Amino acid sequence: MLDASSALAPYAGPWNRRMAAHLLRRAGFGGAPADVDRLAAMSSRDAVDSMMRFDPGPLPARPALEDPPVPPRGLYRGFAQAAVGGAVPMAADDATAEARKAFQMQRNRNRRQNLISMQTWWLQRMIASQAPLQEKMTLFWHGHFTSSPEKGTFAQELLMQNLLFREYALGNVRDLTLHVSQDPAMLRYLDNNVNAKAHPNENYARELMELFTLGIGNYTEQDIRESARAFTGWTFRRNPDGTGSFLDNHNQHDDGSKTFLGQTGNFSGTDIVNIIFKQPAAPRWFAKKLLAFFVYMDPEPQLIDAVAGLIRQHDFEMKPVMATLLHSNVFFSERAYRALVKSPVEFVVGTHQLFGINEIGRLELPVLRQMGQVLFYPPNVKGWDGGSAWINSQSILTRENFANGVAKSPQMMQAASWMVPAMRSMDPRGVAHTLTDAMLQGDVSPASVAQLVTYLGGSGQTELAQLSPENVDERVRNAAYLTMAMPAYQLA
Amino acid sequence: MKRTGFLLGALSGLSVVANTDTIFSRALAQTALPGLPGGSDRILVVINFQGGNDGLNTVVPFGMPDYYRYRPSLGVAPNDVLRIDNTFGLNPVLAPFKKMYDGGNVAIVHGVGYPDPDHSHFRSTEIWQTAQPKGYESTGWVGRYLDDAGLPKANLFNAVAISNVLPEMLISKTTDVPVIDAVASYGLRSDKTKGNSEAFHEFVRDTTVPFRSPFLAQVAEIEDHAQRGAQELPKLIAGYQSQATYPTTPLGRSLALAAQIVGSKLGTRVLYIQHGSFDTHVTQKATQNRLLGDFANSIAAFYQDLAAHGNDKRVLTMTFSEFGRRVAENASRGTDHGEAAPVFMIGGGVKGGLYGRHPDLGQLNAGNLAFSTDFRNVYATVLERWLGRPSASIVGAGYTPLPSLLA
Repeated sequence: MLDASSALAPYAGPWNRRMAAHLLRRAGFGGAPADVDRLAAMSSRDAVDSMMRFDPGPLPARPALEDPPVPPRGLYRGFAQAAVGGAVPMAADDATAEARKAFQMQRNRNRRQNLISMQTWWLQRMIASQAPLQEKMTLFWHGHFTSSPEKGTFAQELLMQNLLFREYALGNVRDLTLHVSQDPAMLRYLDNNVNAKAHPNENYARELMELFTLGIGNYTEQDIRESARAFTGWTFRRNPDGTGSFLDNHNQHDDGSKTFLGQTGNFSGTDIVNIIFKQPAAPRWFAKKLLAFFVYMDPEPQLIDAVAGLIRQHDFEMKPVMATLLHSNVFFSERAYRALVKSPVEFVVGTHQLFGINEIGRLELPVLRQMGQVLFYPPNVKGWDGGSAWINSQSILTRENFANGVAKSPQMMQAASWMVPAMRSMDPRGVAHTLTDAMLQGDVSPASVAQLVTYLGGSGQTELAQLSPENVDERVRNAAYLTMAMPAYQLA
Repeated sequence: MKRTGFLLGALSGLSVVANTDTIFSRALAQTALPGLPGGSDRILVVINFQGGNDGLNTVVPFGMPDYYRYRPSLGVAPNDVLRIDNTFGLNPVLAPFKKMYDGGNVAIVHGVGYPDPDHSHFRSTEIWQTAQPKGYESTGWVGRYLDDAGLPKANLFNAVAISNVLPEMLISKTTDVPVIDAVASYGLRSDKTKGNSEAFHEFVRDTTVPFRSPFLAQVAEIEDHAQRGAQELPKLIAGYQSQATYPTTPLGRSLALAAQIVGSKLGTRVLYIQHGSFDTHVTQKATQNRLLGDFANSIAAFYQDLAAHGNDKRVLTMTFSEFGRRVAENASRGTDHGEAAPVFMIGGGVKGGLYGRHPDLGQLNAGNLAFSTDFRNVYATVLERWLGRPSASIVGAGYTPLPSLLA
């Protein structure tokens, strides 16, 4: 039973590698064994504090993206006139149609390549950043304030949104929400860029309340209509480098009086955001999301209340809220331990960190797609459900095959220096303990360890040859893979 | 896949099942479901024409003058059309498919769509796959059928996606659907190394770990099933001899595998295949003709293969697309995202012919074809008339099956 009064009080229980690894998995992506050792050697208090300091180290602040291609002169002759009501000119001949097709392919290629660059850059940041919580919070916001390229959004627009999430990783959520409401990728994704006085579009107003801040039941359809009016005219201008700039188009703005959540005035989008954050439902909504992402799914109502109170107390500043949460009893409770399923990104990044492999190769992006998580491409505006949704036969086979690929890769043995002494020892028991301690912090049954020892040593049961200098490399690599195949490795 | 409850007992402390064949022996038996006319061996194949297939150049309304007015360069010439009647015909690249139509094995449903159509690939696909145009539903309509149909839990192949990603349509609360791109590559690569398979088998089944987790048993079970399923599948389908020549295209290969799965009697009820991309914004003819031609050749081979094994009447194939395309061609000899489009129902107990009402080209919905049949009626037809399950809990109440389409 949850004791709500002490749930958020500072944890003073046992501090060891298991707890340190739990902290690293939740506030980051798992880290390397040396990171776990380092945190385990501190006090629990110092360990959590160290996760809250954001000095990421020398990393590229943004990826190099290619500007969107410019169509050859005359290819779309007359289109500008068509945009203001003229007839759309047809392709004069097959050559023009072919040229437009070629340009379209070039534009698609540009978009695809930029997306790959962004995904690769972000994954590498997640792996190598010395401030993993900053990347983890960025990922959290990315799955919360969702946008995707599906509306013809340029990669540069999505990048700006990602930088916004990173800047506000532990910042003020109300301010972040206001900036998100003016973000070009979001304006386009939820159609607010075409929300105008003459023809209002409610898509952003609805999702802002339903999914981003309050949840169903805490506003009415009328509130959606009125707030949509307040957001009219909020659009963006596209820049030649593919980024967008927020534009408050007064000509398109409905400056009449609106009644929203019980208040009346000539509201703009800024007022709407401020009124939303005064509602009791707002801190509860964020509390529920944070708990499900960082602690355990289906948090108790009393726990949600306690965290909501904390959020309200700190006026939506995430830094003190997360500090309290990460220091807390409930965060380090038995119920929270291994209570989450690693998302595909956590699985891939964490496995890289485990073996010290910093580079993203050609496999990671397709594999993440098969596991069900493409960065910058949430499946819909709800983001990723998490939990059971990550686990099906395809995603599991993909995870196992990816782990197998890493275990067989040249980089793995070079980078995972912690494996070398064990391998040199040629001692099956020693290797088995090294693997299960480093990779699972001992969260294995004695029976499984015994199985691993038998496997490593070679025996009549498996018809494997005895462990020898000739086969030790392959045998240990396979043992590392088998350790990752244990169900515990899928759990964060 | 969401799991709300499943058997923990299966893994805690039970002895290892000595003979893995017994897991699948239930798969091999054909168990009759209650209330299902004609027995339990009816199969549904769904082919997703991904990207938005232009229905007007597929089922050509050559008898409607507006069609040529809107499509000066894209219109299929009246003399080229494979005529069905005085108004409609098929695109000439569909010749093998026209033969199937002439044999009475193809039903064409005109104008299928839904109210307030969405023109985004992602959202409209999601709508067709979840059968939920309002709000976000995590399970797919076929997933809900799988949950509802009471299929044998021990069968790991109740449904199969021949693809590389699990489609939303097959996401279910209780049924795990394997995604098999090709049999050769399906499974654990590590199993090819001696000793790994047995070791994996043991580790995965040991859940006596020093911690508790709400997800532990589920992960272990899925890992176990996935490995064993992948190991058994090649053996189960090895005996099948294809009796048709399929195109050497991804669609051809997928349908060849589908025929193999059907013919090997794994108890599979639903198969999903994807074909595309039909998103022909620019120079439509070349791309669409290639894709439709591939479809015609592949589906003809599929039914030829099925017939040679006596399975053609057991298999109903349904094609769909997330939307049709705009009526007027655009400035680039292509078409943009549209709305209503035709659905094909092939084989099985289909009574061939034209169904529904073709949208009026003189009464467009802001340049798009207005739908006349809600796709949920098409799903209800499949659910009730073919798979023998009530449709209300799956697609919602009030969607009546199309009369007389399925015998």
